[in-house]
Amino acid sequence: MNLLSHYKYVFQMQFLRNAGFLVFMILIQILISIGIVIGFTYLIPVPDKDTILFLATGAPTIILIFTGLVILPQQIGTAKSDGYMEFMRTWPVNRGVILGADTTIWLIITIPGIIASSVVAHLMFSPGYDISWTVIPALLMIALTSIGVGYGFSYLLSPTASLALSQVIVFGALMFSPVNFPMERLPEWLQALHEILPIYSMAEIMRASLAASTFEATAGNYINLMIWCVLGYGGAIYILNKK
Amino acid sequence: MILDVNSVTKVFTGRGKNKMVANDNISLRIAEGEVFGLLGQNGAGKTTLVNQILGLITPDCGDIQLLGKSVLGSPARARSICSVQPQSQVPLGFLTPKQAVTLIGKMRAGKRFDPRRVEMLFEALDMGEWANKEGEKLSGGAKRLTAFCMAVIAPGKLVILDEPTNDVDPVRRRYLWQVIRNLTNDGTSVILVTHNVLEAEKAVDRVAIINKGKILMQGTPSEVKSSVSNQMRMELSLASESDFEIPSWALSSQKNGSRLIIAIDPQEVTSTIEWAKEHVDNGLIMDYSLSPATIEDAYIELTSKKVVGL
Repeated sequence: MNLLSHYKYVFQMQFLRNAGFLVFMILIQILISIGIVIGFTYLIPVPDKDTILFLATGAPTIILIFTGLVILPQQIGTAKSDGYMEFMRTWPVNRGVILGADTTIWLIITIPGIIASSVVAHLMFSPGYDISWTVIPALLMIALTSIGVGYGFSYLLSPTASLALSQVIVFGALMFSPVNFPMERLPEWLQALHEILPIYSMAEIMRASLAASTFEATAGNYINLMIWCVLGYGGAIYILNKK
Repeated sequence: MILDVNSVTKVFTGRGKNKMVANDNISLRIAEGEVFGLLGQNGAGKTTLVNQILGLITPDCGDIQLLGKSVLGSPARARSICSVQPQSQVPLGFLTPKQAVTLIGKMRAGKRFDPRRVEMLFEALDMGEWANKEGEKLSGGAKRLTAFCMAVIAPGKLVILDEPTNDVDPVRRRYLWQVIRNLTNDGTSVILVTHNVLEAEKAVDRVAIINKGKILMQGTPSEVKSSVSNQMRMELSLASESDFEIPSWALSSQKNGSRLIIAIDPQEVTSTIEWAKEHVDNGLIMDYSLSPATIEDAYIELTSKKVVGL
């Protein structure tokens, strides 16, 4: 039997098993992403256009980070502790197929939130979107990195440890990462850290595709993401195949 | 030969270099169409052995061959030859039993999948009422039966069932044994992992008793029983708890209130029954039953050093 039909059945299995949860997650994602765009303007009394544009082009990145590095590790933790992970390992399919099918599902649930927040931001503030064709590959790349890294650490670490890490990431990504504001505002040591961590590169690449005339991403950003993406998925496949 | 496990040893190293020998030089072979019982107490090493057969963990030494090829070389092949019902419940989430069983069937059999088999299984196990209910809302027994169906919907050459009857009601247990029997008619072999010894006795062709990682004994149920004890046991309910003269030909006896158990030589059966009838007639005994030593007696005697029962 070929990989494609295995992929189809594994996808159906995982999708139907989580159906109710996924619908709920999509709704939460929409709320969070709109919340970021509108909510942050309450923090800043008289936001200028640049600030709004930063928020509006940061929201999709936050959604992708939340999905891959927060919700996904929690799900993996549950699957580990209730024995589902062990059961998946007995399936007569290539483990990469399971990872691929799951990635597709995680990708799908981020889309409605990203579209909703962008439409709302545009209608309310017209912050100056200038969407380039690169938005599709950029979104895929950011999503894959985020999901891949999420898989990597949640497979490697114990459920408790990965839950703790994901809590740190939520807080860090929202408050201490140059996603919703420019990098220059951070202290130097944090700037240096963000040159290595993938979050800054994700934000830069997303911004450069949503407002192409205002922002631009460097080749370094792309290389950074690729390295993290390979590390994440590599780690996940290693753990899945480990005996 | 479907499965050939040859001198497999697996040691787990815990924290502080604590070593736990989960499997100690285990060898066994399973032929086509055979139901093989793996009996043992909690932590005896049964599940570790199963996981090695599936290629999920690698033995420290020894070899496992499935259909003549080593599992170590191609664990993916092992997973397509064997289908498993895990010991823990399979969390179905929002999947209905019908969806779960159908999808696993398609995953295993591809185009050869026959949806009528799902109906057939559900009917054989009387699961119709649950077929389209969300997994989360099912009772433990219904979930366990669903996991069983997932293992046998498109069975490979070897089906491994880890405690399949847990949580299942007595009526459906019987249906379940019937389904297992039908599997072997098609040439599928079954490994039944359990500590429910009495039930297993009726279902298996051969058993291995495993304790602390070692196989203590393997053979047909009657071979295992006779290796331990060739006695019969008579259980009596006495009319009163007062003294009762224990017959001289009793090999051993145990009295607990008005309940008396005596062990006898199989050759004494006829005279013992006559003796018991006489005492029923004169009112000293309420009733009596005579039975051969069960595989449970053998199992307990082998796995614990204590002599229990008789």
